[in-house]
Amino acid sequence: MASFLFIRLMRWSVGLLLILFVTYAMMFYGAGDPIRMMFIQGEDFDSEDVVVMQALRKKYGLDEPFLVQFSNYLTNLAQGDWGRSIRLQVDRPVLEIVEFRLPISMQLGFAATVIGAVAGIALGIFAALFHNRWLDRLIVSTVLFINGIPTFVILPVLLLLLVLQLKLIDVPYGWNGLLHVDAVLPVSVISIGILPIVVRQTRSAMLEVKSQLYVRTARAKGVPESRIILRHMLRPVLTPVVTTLGLIMIGLINGSLFVEYILNIPGFGLLTIEGIKKVDYPIIMAVAVVGTLIIFVSNFMVDIVYPILDPRVRAQ
Amino acid sequence: MSAAATQPRRSRVIDDKSLSLEHHRSLWQDASRRFRKNWLAVAGLFIVGVFLVLAVVGPHIAPYDFLEQNIVNSFQGPSAAHFLGTDDLGRDVFSRMLHGARTAALVAFLSTTISLAIGILVGAWSGIHGGRTDELLMWISDLIQAMPGLLLVILINTTLRRPIINWFDTLYEQTKNPFYLNTLWLDYVLVFSALALIAWPGLARLVRGQVLSINEEDYVLAARALGGSQWHIMLRHVVPNALGPLVVAVTASMGGAVTMEAGLSFLGIGVQPPNASWGSILEEGRRYWQIFPHLILIPAVTIGVIQVAFVFLGDGLNDALDPRRNS
Repeated sequence: MASFLFIRLMRWSVGLLLILFVTYAMMFYGAGDPIRMMFIQGEDFDSEDVVVMQALRKKYGLDEPFLVQFSNYLTNLAQGDWGRSIRLQVDRPVLEIVEFRLPISMQLGFAATVIGAVAGIALGIFAALFHNRWLDRLIVSTVLFINGIPTFVILPVLLLLLVLQLKLIDVPYGWNGLLHVDAVLPVSVISIGILPIVVRQTRSAMLEVKSQLYVRTARAKGVPESRIILRHMLRPVLTPVVTTLGLIMIGLINGSLFVEYILNIPGFGLLTIEGIKKVDYPIIMAVAVVGTLIIFVSNFMVDIVYPILDPRVRAQ
Repeated sequence: MSAAATQPRRSRVIDDKSLSLEHHRSLWQDASRRFRKNWLAVAGLFIVGVFLVLAVVGPHIAPYDFLEQNIVNSFQGPSAAHFLGTDDLGRDVFSRMLHGARTAALVAFLSTTISLAIGILVGAWSGIHGGRTDELLMWISDLIQAMPGLLLVILINTTLRRPIINWFDTLYEQTKNPFYLNTLWLDYVLVFSALALIAWPGLARLVRGQVLSINEEDYVLAARALGGSQWHIMLRHVVPNALGPLVVAVTASMGGAVTMEAGLSFLGIGVQPPNASWGSILEEGRRYWQIFPHLILIPAVTIGVIQVAFVFLGDGLNDALDPRRNS
């Protein structure tokens, strides 16, 4: 077991390093010289500034060769120094920006996951219990339908409907905390994005469990149906649902990217887009680091949690 | 091949008339019969078909040039002259949507073709040869699949754009060939290559899995025992059997590419103006959404309908092409 986890950990860490390397290389060779861009964007650009540009490059460590820069970056990263923003919020430490932005997205994502998971598991169970009846068909085709529509279509249309047609809410704008009314729309739209994953997985797991012999035994013993569902069926159903955590995380990242962009919520998704539009190296690297870490940690957690939840896996 | 693969065991279904020899249907006839019964999937196929046809003939039936501005006529509602109204610069929305259909279809078609080619090559190689290279290839595809695709596409798209434009600039200075000044088509190239780069691992995994599992089947063993070569087995057994799942995956991949392209252009990262994309039309309409809601309603509904059509088409194909499913 320990060696299995160790191999897994090694695989994910090497993967993380590889992705950081590739991103850094793409930034280094691709994104263009951020210092030069800084000057082109400024109004008082003239050729004499070459000296200043060189000094700035030195300051941000951009005059070193690629491998030196990359290893410097890694060492600094390990010591908690994520570099300083070059163009987005000039000279502000990236870690500070991330510490401000990430919690907002995490609150949104957490609330969306809870809602999406609870609603999704409930819908999945109902669909399986009424297998091939109209309720099942309704849930399955609704989920299929929702699954097709991208976030950047759902959200503007919902805004039209709720703000312009029904006049139910004001235009939500910015971030006023998770408990503010303005958070309702972003949280629900993000949770809609992950709902289909959960429903589908729960339904198929539930269909499998339904025909198990121990369920029949429990029913034959006269155990009430609600107890059968909650005590005998729910746990083996939840186990495979946990494995979709990686997919859910991807759904959250995709969802928050669009939702934060549209509603101007200063979270991590908006930071991603701003950083990329401004070609701010350290920000883009931080986005890549955090994004990859989230995905890898959640996948690794599934590797750890799965054997705990499922004794059959543990036995292997 | 299909006889061995689909003929049921005699004992169980001997009295089933539809499966007797006179009524023998091929795998594909069976599939098309099952598909036609699913009206949602048929509707999906119809909508996707209309979309593809409009993408091809669109610019020829468009009433106006998609770039033609007419500030006097800006923000008009739907009328006889402008079927879907006009936008902030007085451009005809219908013509722009038709151009956007071409953008979406082009990006979806090219990215799917490239990722399919890479996926088949990598997957088949991995499945047939196995070993270290297989492990390495699958590890890389795992990594790419684990990453959020949108983030990767954004990264690839933004980082590659500038060096290529710089490279073209230097080429222009050297050759003075005006070809290098026009970088409109570069947007398309960047978007569909980035999409292809993230889409191939899924297809490679699928192909590899198919090759591995079909190679285990008894009829392949029989073919091998009868002296069939590896080529014969690949072409006669593996390819026809893997085709069904592959068709489903390609449909899903095309739908995904249409969304991704619209999403990227919506964020201002994909196809840049003056090229029109449904995503950028939606984003432009968003500036005036409280006063002129039709400007976001038109692209939003279009993207939504096309996506749902792709999803139902893929779902219907999935159900229809699975021979193990009893109809």
